[in-house]
Amino acid sequence: MVMEMVLLSALAGVAVLFALGVLISKDNFYSSLFMSAALIFIAVVYAIFNLQPVFVLIVFIFVGAIGIVTVALAATYRSDPERQFSWVWAVPVVITALVIGFSIYSYNMLNSQSVSSSTIDFELINFISNSEYLVLILSLVSLVVLLLLSVLKMGVGGTEN
Amino acid sequence: MLAIDLMSASIIYGASFAILLIGYLAAISSKDVIRLLISLELMFGAVFLSLIPLFSALAYPAFGVAIITIFTSSGELLVLIAAIVTLDRQKKDIHTSAITIGGDRV
Repeated sequence: MVMEMVLLSALAGVAVLFALGVLISKDNFYSSLFMSAALIFIAVVYAIFNLQPVFVLIVFIFVGAIGIVTVALAATYRSDPERQFSWVWAVPVVITALVIGFSIYSYNMLNSQSVSSSTIDFELINFISNSEYLVLILSLVSLVVLLLLSVLKMGVGGTEN
Repeated sequence: MLAIDLMSASIIYGASFAILLIGYLAAISSKDVIRLLISLELMFGAVFLSLIPLFSALAYPAFGVAIITIFTSSGELLVLIAAIVTLDRQKKDIHTSAITIGGDRV
């Protein structure tokens, strides 16, 4: 149990570090790569809780499609790197982070006995019937294909104005 | 398999809030729309992370919420990508300062 908790902390910590890399990096191309890595680590957290369907959805659709398009876009519009970090806005963000951190810490201290641990019991087969599941996935995939086609049309045909 | 208890939920929520705040700061600091797109994706990642504890209480509704969130956010980001391409075609510039139409003038 302790080993699994250390693993969870390490994965969550690495995801936060990659997110910090997005903020600190000057080049958008490297920022997009850090963002994809952070999302993959978030998906891995799902995998250690035995939620493989969500892991697959995040890695294949969110990172595999949208993340790669973002990396390609960042590589296409690559310009002279410049620092994009606002110290003025960092102050309220740090204050908010401190308030949230303290609230989580105080909740842990006050309610340590009230919450019992529970495992996640999830099986994809019990979610919905096969036919409904197929209709749902087909409609969502067709929606994404329609959106991609409209982007493609814009790229090939151009816009009116 | 790892169980969801108060400690693991705290770690997940802590990481989720940290990534969300980093995403907010990156979005506020962004000077071009590519950085804005990247920070939005980071924020959606934080949302996905915060969904995990819901699976211990309501596993099947949580999976439905996860599917809808993933596809909705993907569609939203695709629209933003299309908007970036359109902006580049019309303005030949992808900096946020190039967007001058719309909104209130103060």
